[in-house]
Amino acid sequence: MSVSQETSASGAQRLGGFIASYSVVITFLAICLFFAVASPTFLTGANLYNVLVNNVVMLAIVALGLTIVISSGGIDLSVGVSVDMASMVFVMLLAAGYGGVFGVTVGLLAAVAVGVLNAILITRLKISPFLATLGVLFIGQSTQQLATSGGQPIYLITGYAGDQFNAIARTSLFGVPTPVLVLIACIVVVYLLLHRSVFGRAVQAMGAQPGVAWYSGLAVPRQQSLVYIGCALLCGITGILLSATVKSYVPLSGNAFLLDAIGATFIGTTLSAERRPTVIGTLLGVLLLAVVKNGLLLIGWNFYWQQVGIGVLVFLVLAVSFGLRRARQ
Amino acid sequence: MTATTMRAAGTAAQGEKQPRVQNTGKRLGAVAVRLGAIATFALILIYFALFAPGFLSSFNLINVVEQSAILGVLAFGMAVVIIGGGSNVTEGGIDLSIAANMGLCAAVFATVLQAGYPDAVALLAAIACGVAVGALNAIAVVGLGILPLLASLAVMNIAAGAELTLTQNTVVGAASPLLAFLVSGSFLGISALAWCLILFSAIMLVFIHKTTFGLRLYAVGGHPEAARAAGINVPLHVGFTYLFSGFCAAIASVLAVSRLSASTPGSGEMLLSVLAAALLGTVFSRRLVPTIGGTLLSVLFIGFLANGFQLLNVSSYWVNGVQGALILLVVAVTSFARGPEASR
Repeated sequence: MSVSQETSASGAQRLGGFIASYSVVITFLAICLFFAVASPTFLTGANLYNVLVNNVVMLAIVALGLTIVISSGGIDLSVGVSVDMASMVFVMLLAAGYGGVFGVTVGLLAAVAVGVLNAILITRLKISPFLATLGVLFIGQSTQQLATSGGQPIYLITGYAGDQFNAIARTSLFGVPTPVLVLIACIVVVYLLLHRSVFGRAVQAMGAQPGVAWYSGLAVPRQQSLVYIGCALLCGITGILLSATVKSYVPLSGNAFLLDAIGATFIGTTLSAERRPTVIGTLLGVLLLAVVKNGLLLIGWNFYWQQVGIGVLVFLVLAVSFGLRRARQ
Repeated sequence: MTATTMRAAGTAAQGEKQPRVQNTGKRLGAVAVRLGAIATFALILIYFALFAPGFLSSFNLINVVEQSAILGVLAFGMAVVIIGGGSNVTEGGIDLSIAANMGLCAAVFATVLQAGYPDAVALLAAIACGVAVGALNAIAVVGLGILPLLASLAVMNIAAGAELTLTQNTVVGAASPLLAFLVSGSFLGISALAWCLILFSAIMLVFIHKTTFGLRLYAVGGHPEAARAAGINVPLHVGFTYLFSGFCAAIASVLAVSRLSASTPGSGEMLLSVLAAALLGTVFSRRLVPTIGGTLLSVLFIGFLANGFQLLNVSSYWVNGVQGALILLVVAVTSFARGPEASR
């Protein structure tokens, strides 16, 4: 939008534009206010801590991974597989008596392997990201079923493994829980990579104008590979945090993140004028989903109604943002 | 039975009128892909026929067609959405809510029957519900300009939540003359459910490949700007595809209720298979767009794959993985034949 148009725009139009850009922020604040009034427990420290650790951290890390992928113009349906693979390998190694550091490292490598597979399929075999990662999702589900004789969970509540889990999920530094520190580290790294680095500009260019990126001499396949491997690594971190938090590995549990993470990332795109994913937008999307889930629970809606509530809310946020922008054009 | 479907697919491919591609090499490549995909399909069937006991018995073949009916109807709905919206995966047409919508329609259908209403009322209620969910998608995509991937994701949550609220996550039993007919009725030795798939496919073939509307739908999906310039009402056509996929979800829900004599939770899990079937179907077409014949072939392929593994006593845990690997194989071969510039 040029400057002359900006000045000639009427007040109502400008208000519409403001609402279109910040509908997520406005909704988020309004919802926080609503729950703060409706439920006495919502604004307590214990509840907010619970939301942060249980609803935000893991989803946010997966969503950050998807933010990179979606920025590059791709999609990764196999995020759940990366989460599960890291969790499975980590828990199985601990169950076999290996050390925590070794387990975490190999677990993360297992997630990276999923990313490498995606990268090979997409850059070498030229399969579209949607289909490639859909195929990997199917293969990942089979792998887990075969490895756990049909989906038997592995519980390691006490003893040596339990201590290892506690060292990850139940410790804190300067009063900040370790998982939250991990999230903050992930946010900083992804923000710098995506919005402040040459790699990030290449990724954005690939997403906005793939043809131009190619003709400008960007090493598209290499950047693409890094994108999918980076996403898988982030999902792997979530997998480790997940198994450490629930002290177990439950097959096929990572898939629960997929749709929420896609939703959060795309809700976040409403923040930018070009509808591009951003780290800040994604985090807002994650917070919005987490707060709504928690708030509806607090005011006594059962699980079934929560799902309807979240669907309607996401729909309305999208409708306002896309609808107002369309009306302005 | 297989012969009929093969023939049906053949007519679908022939029925596709399109301008000649100049590049002979590329055309040959596309032909190779199509033949390759069909050959892979045939080889796997031959393998099952030779080594899986009872695979070729007419009972088994009809059984597979019967089992594929639900997936088939849903995949047709998805294929129509992809045809009308374009096959760009993040911005093109897609309906993620179709499986959840089927679950909701099944719940509505079973609940209305349990309340003592006749079949016709229940059927109308299910169709109204499916089309209403489709209308929500259509309004979001056409009216508000929300990305289909995103809009249908939100609608999926709404539909799944509504189903859970309606059924309280329980099995709602249902029995009626219509359901009894669908389960046990048969004509020419082919069961009613199998007939449903055959008839629905035939209607879809004519509708998508033999009518002006179908041709316009391809135009809208292929190049919306050009379609608009040619005077086609693009929003109308795109909106229709979502209403239609809602309708397909309702039809599939009736078939699903008849198979299990109840509406059961968890139908959302079908989404990935539906996507796989609709997208895999594109490799059977010359221009690599979804076609009815191609979709039907891939639906049956997925059905035969699961069935063959069962007969070979291979653990069902393998089925997903092999299905995934096959999708990757077929699509990899396709994109190689498409040439380097189309791979982006």
